[in-house]
Amino acid sequence: MHHHGTEAIKAGEKIIIVGNPNVGKSVIFGLLTGRYADVSNYPGTTVTLTTGSYHMGGVDTLVIDTPGVNTLIPMSEDEVVTRDILINEPVKQIVQVVDAKNLSRGLVISIQLVEMGLPFVLVLNMWDEANSRGINIDVEKLAAAIGTTVIPTVGVERKGLKELREALYKRSFPSIAINYGGAIENGIKRLESLLPEVNISKRAISLMLLAGDESLKPWLKGHVGINDIPKIESIRRDIQDKYYEPLGYIINQIRLKRCEKIIGDVLSKNQTDRSPITVHLGNWAMHPVWGIPVLLAVLFLTYEFVGVFGAQTLVDLLEHKLFGSYINPSMTRVVTLLIPDTFFRDLLIGEYGIITMALTYSIAIILPIVGTFFIAFGLLEDSGYLPRLAMMVNKIFKLMGLHGKAALPMVLGLGCDTMATLTARIMETRKERVIVTLLLALGVPCSAQLGVILGMLGGISFHVTLLWIFIVVLVLFLVGFMASKVIKGESSDFVFDIPPFRVPILTNILFKTLSRIKWYLKEAVPLFILGTLILFTLDKTGVLEVIEAVASPIVVGFLGLPQKATDAFLIGFLRRDYGAAGLYALAEAGELNPNQILVSLVTITLFVPCVANSMVMIKERGLKTAAAITAFIFPFAFLVGGVLNFVLNGFGIKL
Amino acid sequence: MDYWKSKEQRLEEDRIDELLELTWMLIEDGEATVDNIAGKSEDPLASSLLKDIESFGLISIDHHSGKVAFKESGERRAEQIIRRHRIAERLLSEVFEVEERQMEDHACELEHTHVLGQVVVDSICTFLGHPPTCPHGKVIPRGECCKKFSQDVKPLVGALTDLRIGEEAKIVFISSKYHARLDRLSSLGIIPGSVIRLHQKQPTYVIRIGETELALDKDLAKEIFVKKI
Repeated sequence: MHHHGTEAIKAGEKIIIVGNPNVGKSVIFGLLTGRYADVSNYPGTTVTLTTGSYHMGGVDTLVIDTPGVNTLIPMSEDEVVTRDILINEPVKQIVQVVDAKNLSRGLVISIQLVEMGLPFVLVLNMWDEANSRGINIDVEKLAAAIGTTVIPTVGVERKGLKELREALYKRSFPSIAINYGGAIENGIKRLESLLPEVNISKRAISLMLLAGDESLKPWLKGHVGINDIPKIESIRRDIQDKYYEPLGYIINQIRLKRCEKIIGDVLSKNQTDRSPITVHLGNWAMHPVWGIPVLLAVLFLTYEFVGVFGAQTLVDLLEHKLFGSYINPSMTRVVTLLIPDTFFRDLLIGEYGIITMALTYSIAIILPIVGTFFIAFGLLEDSGYLPRLAMMVNKIFKLMGLHGKAALPMVLGLGCDTMATLTARIMETRKERVIVTLLLALGVPCSAQLGVILGMLGGISFHVTLLWIFIVVLVLFLVGFMASKVIKGESSDFVFDIPPFRVPILTNILFKTLSRIKWYLKEAVPLFILGTLILFTLDKTGVLEVIEAVASPIVVGFLGLPQKATDAFLIGFLRRDYGAAGLYALAEAGELNPNQILVSLVTITLFVPCVANSMVMIKERGLKTAAAITAFIFPFAFLVGGVLNFVLNGFGIKL
Repeated sequence: MDYWKSKEQRLEEDRIDELLELTWMLIEDGEATVDNIAGKSEDPLASSLLKDIESFGLISIDHHSGKVAFKESGERRAEQIIRRHRIAERLLSEVFEVEERQMEDHACELEHTHVLGQVVVDSICTFLGHPPTCPHGKVIPRGECCKKFSQDVKPLVGALTDLRIGEEAKIVFISSKYHARLDRLSSLGIIPGSVIRLHQKQPTYVIRIGETELALDKDLAKEIFVKKI
C-alpha cells in the first residue's frame, strides 16, 4: 500500500530525512514535499526510499525519506537502505528527526552523523507529547552543545514548519569529538590509511568496520583494493582481541554515555501524575488477560464495519441499486443501440463483459469493501494497536521460527501482500524473511480479497466467519511450523519498540484511505479488465470449455464445487481478490451452498499470489525461492480445500 | 588463610601476586615479555623476581624472544588473583559506588589471599549475581560458585526476570555471548547504567526505559542483570 514508486534517484545534492523508527520522518517529509508518504504509528512503515521534491532557493531539490534506524550500523535490510544512502549520495542537508521524549536514542544517531562529517539540522518532533509528560528541553543549550540548529516541531499540527524551512538553508557541520580510548583510536588510525575519499569521513567508516558491520562488505569490495580487505579484517580482529565485549557494543556504550551527559545539561523533568485514558487503553491492549478480549473486540468491530456495513449495506447500494438498476441496464440499452455486432456487444456487456463483469466487480463489489477496510485498517495503524498485537502473538510466532515482529508484515498483508512482502525486510535473518514471504503468499488475504470473503461469509453467519479464520490460521501455523524445521538458518531476537497509544488523527486517516483507494483503482482495475478480456477470449474461442472440462475432476470431483467455479480460479491467477469476486457472484446467484462457499473461500485464500506479489517475491527473495514457494502453494491450496470438503461431507456437517 | 605466615613471607607473597597479576593482564593483551613486565611493574626488582618465579615453576620464559607464559600452577594462582581483584572492583563500583580512581587502589589491596579468602570471594560473586566482567569490561575468571550458579546468598544483583512488576532497577551488566544481541540491545539504549522499570512479564517482558516501552523475550531478559533502586 506504500504505492509511491521508488524512482531512480536523480543526481545532485539532496535533502535526506533520517531518524529513529516511528518518530515522524514521513510526516516531516510530507510537510516539505507536499507528497503523502504512508504515515502510521508503528516502526517499520517505511522500508524503502520515498522521494519528493522541495523548491529551495530557485531549484527543485530532491528530498528522500528513509527507513528508521537506531544506529547507522545496520542490523536489518531496511536499515542498510538508510546507511547506503548516507554513504553514496551527495548531501545538501540532512534533517534528523528525533522523538523529543526519547532524546538520547536520537542523539546517538546525531553523534554518528557528526562523525560522518555531514551537515544536519535536528528536529525535535512530538514536542507536545514530551511537554505533556513533563519533559523540558533547553533548545538553545542543546543547539550549542551539538553545534547545529535545533527546531522543536509538532509535525502532525504543522508546528515548527516555518522554522524548519528556514533552517534548511543553513548548513552547519557540528562537532562533538568523542575519544574512544587508546586501542580503538589506534584501530581507527590504522583503518583510515586504507580507506578512499568518499562522501562521509574515514573515521566514521573506520568505526563501522571496527564494530564489525557485515553489511559494508559489498561496499568495501568496490572501494578498497582486494589486498586491503583481509588487512582491514585483521586490524579489526587485533583491536577486538583487546576487549572481552564486542567492539560494536563498546562503541555504542561510549556514545550513549556521551549522550546522557549532553542530556543531563539540557533536559529537565517535572513530575506529572495524570495519565490519560490512552495510556490505560494501550496497557489493556497488551495485558496478558485483557489483551484477548481487546483482540476479539477489534476483530468483531472490524467484521461489523467491513463485513456487514461495507460488504452488505454499501455493496447492496452500489451493486444492486447503482449498477443493477441504473448503470448496467442503461449501458446495455446504449450499447445495444450503438453496437449491432454481438461480439463487441458481449465484450462490453456480455457474461464476461468489461462493464458487466470487470467494472461491476471492481467498483460495485470490491471498492466499498476495500474502502471500509482501509478506514478500519488506518485506525488500527495509527492508534498503535499493531505493535501491541505483535507482542501478544510473539509466543505463537516463536513456534514458526519467527517472533512477534513478524506479525507486522503479516497484518500489513491484510492490506496488500505485495507491499507486505517488502516489509519483510524488517526481519533480521534470511530464514525469517523467507518464512514471512511464504506465509504471506500462501494464506494472508489482501484487503480486496478479505473484503469480498467477509462479504460472502457475512451472508452466512459470524460463526462460519470464525471457522474460516480458524482454518486459515491453522494452515498458516502448520505450514510455518514445518517451514521453520525445513528452512535452514537462524532466528533473531525479539526486542521491539512499543509506541504510545494515540487517538488517530482523522485527516491522516482520510489521506491514507484516499491515497490507498487511488492506488487500488490505478493498480487493480486495469488487471480486472485484463482478466475479463482473457476470460472473454477463452470463452469465445471455446478454450474455456476445455479448461473447465479438464479442471472438472479437481474442481467438481475433489472440491465439490460447480464447474463454473473454475472461472473464478482462472482469474484468481491474476489476482486472488478477483477470483474471490467471481465466487461472490456465484454465491449471489445461489449456485453455492454454505459448505461450498467455505471450501471455495479456503481454497481461494490459499491460492497462488497475484502477479504483482510474485514480481516482488522474485525481486526480494530471488527467482529460485519465489518459484519454490509458488510450486508449493498451487497444489497445496487445492489439497486443503479438498480435505476440507471431504471432512465436511464425511461428517455430514451442514453449515 | 595464611595467618601462620610471617609478615616478611606475606610481603614476598604479595610481590609475587602483583607480578603474576601483571603477567596475566599482559598475556590478555598479547604483550607479555620480560621487558614489558619489568617496565610496567612497580616492583624495582621485577626482573630478578621474574627469574625466581620461573624457578618456582610458576611461569616459563622463552629466553630467545623474552616471551612469558604461565605454567599450570602459576596460571591457577594468577587466575585467583585476577578473580579477586575484578570481583572486588565490581563490589566497590556496584555496592559502594566508589569513584574509578579510588576503586583501583582498594581493589589492589583486596586482591591478596590473606585479605579475601576463596569462600568470601565466592559469596561476593554470588551476591553480585556472578558478573562475567569487571567494570572495565575485562573477563572475571569463573569460580566454583559460578559453575553452580548458586543463589545461597540473596543476590544484590539479579536477572531482570527476578524483578517484580513495577520495580525500578539499574542495569549492572549484560551477560550474553551473542555479539549481535549486545549490539542490538545497546542500540536501543539498554546498556549498563541505564535505569529501567519492569512493566509486565506476560505474554512477553515489557520494560520501560526513559519514555520508551520495549517488548523483549524472556531469553534476553534473563541475560540482563540489574540492581534494584
